[in-house]
Amino acid sequence: MEIVEEYDVKQMLKKYGINVPDSMLIKDLPERLDIEFPVVLKVSDKNILHKSDVGGVVINIKNMEELKEKFNEMKNKFPNSKFLIEKMVKPGIELIIGSTYDKNFGQTIMLGIGGIFVELYKDVSFRLIPISEKDAYSMIDDLKGKKLFEGFRNYKLKKEDVVSLLLKVSQIVSDLKNVDQLDLNPIIFNEDGYFVVDAKLILK
Amino acid sequence: MFQRLFNPSSIAVIGASKDEKKIGNVVLKNLKAMGYNGKVYPINPKEDTILDFKVYRSILDINDEIDIAVITLSANQSIQAVKECVIKNVPFVIVIAGGFSETGEEGKKLEDELINAIKGTNTRIIGPNTVGIYIPRSNVSTALTLPERTSLPGDGNIGFISQSGALGLLTMDIISEYNLGVSGFINIGNRIDLSEIELMEYFLKDENTKSIALYLETFKDGRKFFEFAKEASKIKPIVLLKGGRTDAGAKAASLHTGAIATNDSIVDGMTKQLGIIRAYTEIELFDYAKVLAYQKPLKGDRIAVVTTAGGVGVVTSDYLTSQVNGVGLKLAKLKEETKNKIKKSIVPFGSAENPIDLTADGSTEQYDHVLEYLNEDENVDGIIVYALYQTAKIDIDLIDVLEKYMKGKPMVVGIMGSKIGKRMLVEAEKRKIPAYPDIERTVKSMYALYLRGKYLGD
Repeated sequence: MEIVEEYDVKQMLKKYGINVPDSMLIKDLPERLDIEFPVVLKVSDKNILHKSDVGGVVINIKNMEELKEKFNEMKNKFPNSKFLIEKMVKPGIELIIGSTYDKNFGQTIMLGIGGIFVELYKDVSFRLIPISEKDAYSMIDDLKGKKLFEGFRNYKLKKEDVVSLLLKVSQIVSDLKNVDQLDLNPIIFNEDGYFVVDAKLILK
Repeated sequence: MFQRLFNPSSIAVIGASKDEKKIGNVVLKNLKAMGYNGKVYPINPKEDTILDFKVYRSILDINDEIDIAVITLSANQSIQAVKECVIKNVPFVIVIAGGFSETGEEGKKLEDELINAIKGTNTRIIGPNTVGIYIPRSNVSTALTLPERTSLPGDGNIGFISQSGALGLLTMDIISEYNLGVSGFINIGNRIDLSEIELMEYFLKDENTKSIALYLETFKDGRKFFEFAKEASKIKPIVLLKGGRTDAGAKAASLHTGAIATNDSIVDGMTKQLGIIRAYTEIELFDYAKVLAYQKPLKGDRIAVVTTAGGVGVVTSDYLTSQVNGVGLKLAKLKEETKNKIKKSIVPFGSAENPIDLTADGSTEQYDHVLEYLNEDENVDGIIVYALYQTAKIDIDLIDVLEKYMKGKPMVVGIMGSKIGKRMLVEAEKRKIPAYPDIERTVKSMYALYLRGKYLGD
């Protein structure tokens, strides 16, 4: 089992044409930032899979002064780690797309209503990889929350975006061949489009 | 090669017995009761005749080719018997005994011995821990249920592969009540050799088989099944009853996806991907296999309902259109022209609106007209017809009318009632009209046609 660092996972996603927030990987705080505020500061370390559980994520940092303060706190906590600064993504609808390896069925892909309540609601749909475009559309139809695609309050999900994401993830897992587990969660859909806010990858 | 399994010329029963309580006796009795007209060779070192069959000391003493050997001995004794079958070059050996891997480590070792005994040979094993096969067309049954206490179906169009023997036999006993038939039944048991995939391959090629019913608790190789069924499902409809849905199954996973991925959620996704229709009971398994064997797939979701009982039309419409406790299809909006024609054919207090109610005044002739108009209406994709024999103007000829419209749009029939109802269901079955004894089963079977059509359509 090998955990891939979030920054590397997101760089790979970007290569496949998947939107990720602007980011930079740092050891120490630079003089100036190429990323617009507000930003998120995350610890980036192979040994820390669940960052928020260990206080490794600070969100909504509004200016350089605040960033310096939070960075120093973080640096004291994780003196040997690297850090990730990312543009903060505006709120929206949260989906999860993931993959897991099953010893009988092989590579699978999952779509679901995302965020922190994934395991509570379990509104998800699985398929075996590789999937077709038709499979991707039918995964959306499986969700109880599919009404979100017709518009709910101010939110409206575009089916085409989700289908294209599913096909790309199916492709990534096929190409990598040794994925044990992959979570893109949450993927936030807001007025600017969609962004993969957190990405976790474990290789076999 | 499978011809020798499904249409054998000779069957040896190793462990044949005079004792009526022993399986070695029941198997012979079943072959006799079925009127199997190939050669039967009971094997027993101590007997001369059993049930009028000449008995042989060993399979190696038989001066004939053996297509199937049924071994009714204990697990331990079965291993030597299999070895002798290999020497005799028997292509198919059915090992009935339990006491193999399903019982633990010791049994697993015995099972490995079986596997080793046939490795690199032409001999294939069905089982162990199996009731074997039942092929009505060839009058072959190796079932271990007593013939006087079990009804088994006649020849039909459904190929049935089951991991459970008892559930398989019981289900066949149930469907034989309405004369629904099977093209073959194979209980794969512990499935150390012959797998569901090879048997599906046979049924795909068998021209008598129009649909395949599967009862599986596990897949021998899930990924292989997926690759195989991708093509297979396009050729013939497959219905799956998957036992063990609630097994936790999810692996110890550190991420969300892994933690949610139960075996059943993956199976569910795979069946949707493959266009395999999922059944959740043994009754649904054969309801869907039957409708898919007899009827063409639906090309849309707009259904017309014809009844002589208003309430039946109302509950059918609810079940048909509701997302909760229903299947979420649509009631067809009939063309004005259709409605006008129907109005002229039925009594004034009947309903020409869908669901169409002919009322207790409904006659066989009215059904004929209404079905003709509905078949001409392009707003109708499929038709549910209730043939209710309880009123005066309906007669036996209604079945002829229904048979005539089997050529038309996909049609599923509901026939409710007890004595007469059953007789009419049997009559419908004779003509391969998919008919069901209640509203829910009628509507759900129509939905199976919808799922099949949706899968094939796009």
